[in-house]
Amino acid sequence: MTVLRRNLATYGITFLFILALNFILPRMMPGDPLAAIYGDEALIAMTPELKAHLVERFALDKSLWEQFGAYLSALVHGDLGYSYYYNAPAIRVILGHLPWTLLLVGSALVISTLLCIVLGIESGWRRGSRTDRTLLTGMMSLSGFPDFFLGMVLLLVFGVMLRWFPLAGALTPYSGLSGLPLLLDVLKHMALPVTALTLAHLTGGYLLTRNTMITVLKAPFILTARAKGLSQEVLKYRHAGRNSMLPVITMMGIWLGRVVTGALFVELVFAYPGIGQLSYQALISRDYPIIQGIFLMVAISVLLVNCAVDLLYSKIDPRVRYAH
Amino acid sequence: MHIDLKKEIKESTTGRIGISVLLLVILLALLAPVLGRYNPVGQSTTTLLSPSCGHWLGTNHVGQDIWSQLLYGARTSLLVGFSVGILSLLFSILFGISTALIGRVYDCVVMRIVDAFIIIPTVIVAILVAAYVKPSLFLLIIILSVLSWPAGARVIRAQTLSLKQSGHISASRTFGASQLYIAWRHILPDLVPILLVEFIYGVRRAVFMEAGLAFLGIGDPMVVSWGTMMHDALRFSYLDVWRWWLVPVGVALSLTIIGLTFISHAVESIIDPRLRGETVA
Repeated sequence: MTVLRRNLATYGITFLFILALNFILPRMMPGDPLAAIYGDEALIAMTPELKAHLVERFALDKSLWEQFGAYLSALVHGDLGYSYYYNAPAIRVILGHLPWTLLLVGSALVISTLLCIVLGIESGWRRGSRTDRTLLTGMMSLSGFPDFFLGMVLLLVFGVMLRWFPLAGALTPYSGLSGLPLLLDVLKHMALPVTALTLAHLTGGYLLTRNTMITVLKAPFILTARAKGLSQEVLKYRHAGRNSMLPVITMMGIWLGRVVTGALFVELVFAYPGIGQLSYQALISRDYPIIQGIFLMVAISVLLVNCAVDLLYSKIDPRVRYAH
Repeated sequence: MHIDLKKEIKESTTGRIGISVLLLVILLALLAPVLGRYNPVGQSTTTLLSPSCGHWLGTNHVGQDIWSQLLYGARTSLLVGFSVGILSLLFSILFGISTALIGRVYDCVVMRIVDAFIIIPTVIVAILVAAYVKPSLFLLIIILSVLSWPAGARVIRAQTLSLKQSGHISASRTFGASQLYIAWRHILPDLVPILLVEFIYGVRRAVFMEAGLAFLGIGDPMVVSWGTMMHDALRFSYLDVWRWWLVPVGVALSLTIIGLTFISHAVESIIDPRLRGETVA
């Protein structure tokens, strides 16, 4: 119970902090607050009526507290502001880009989780052997490569030099494909970015599984299982492996919460039309409603996922409930 | 825990490799004015040259010598890395030890803030802030330090809590030692190996973040940075220039990070009893 309450307090504080950052930053800027809230594009389209309307909407002529109230009430109504760069409500622009990012990160997440669990179990099982040492060294070196550099190398080798994969985007534009060819087209565009993401996120999970495996293998119940005469494979995967998966699942959950930022650099390298690419465009064009909207969405998804992981984890592992 | 840290790091293969790589990068950064014969930001009309005796790695799209830029970029990476490493370690020590020793409401409040900071992804905060203010190198160091101390504080707090229970600290308390004296005289020295790991983590994260943010175009455009170089090089990926423009920079960045990873792994496997005796390579 106390754990839950403590976590809820954390999430509350985090959320307030995020709201405050989103609210205060644009209003701290020198000059016209409208420019800081709406971006430069808005000023071009500005008419006196529109300006009066916007000032009223954000209560900009009133006290800070009333402004904060207006800001909160807009948020509650799902209004993240209007992007004058895209000429559409910010929330619609963001939701339009979201599926691509989910597709990219979701695939990478599944593949890298499976890979790191299997590799971690195998490596921990034969700790100190040649296979283990090679894997460990390789994985640690791999973690040194930033995902955008991995992405660029993949792009240059398999895209530019070998021409096996397309260079940019998520679809072949104006191809008019449908059905199976469309699916293949999407897969072909995904292959390189997903590989880059998978490789970049492999090490953390691998090290975690391996370390847990090493600890679990020393536990008495493993000795019992051995004494029962169970086969090596059953021992490795069903007894030790299953216990070694728990921390990785937590970690992957947290990574899932970071879906949006996780793919940022890779999306940029492959000009993949997801949230990362959108944030970059918004950063360059100073499209503040979009940046703020993305920030808020990232924050909320991170909080939700953390909450879910907490709950799930105490279900999977009863020890957690009594631990605090 | 009484381990001869220096000796053990020297004996571990990982530690030796890591330290050699890092020393090499530091040496190159220090000798940048000697080894690089050109001004890294001096533009010329000879653009996009292939490698030659005059320009070891050719020149970029505005005629700057890539080899010189590579050397000066190491300076930026290391400067940001070590500054953020030190600053955020100081924050971590301050809050980690004080929460563990003072406890009560103070501990509760600070730890909730720490959790909040750990949850929010750094990149997106940096982007949000950078959208409003163009950060200089100094501001970047401050932002990264403020965002990266909480994880370390958590670890240091946990260690301090367990140290607090040990006999010599209760003894010193009965002799009337103040909290500050205990923290300085008894707790800090025992934390050294963990502080070292946290410091290297901090440096590593900062080197990574600096390159990533510069890659996004966040940062001072007048500062030579590996991230900026890779960003520029990517725009010319249809030419062959990436072979001597993009790849060396990416490899330099990766090597720096790998060096740091190896060192931190070496220290970790020395101080973590479960991993003791680990050998790599």
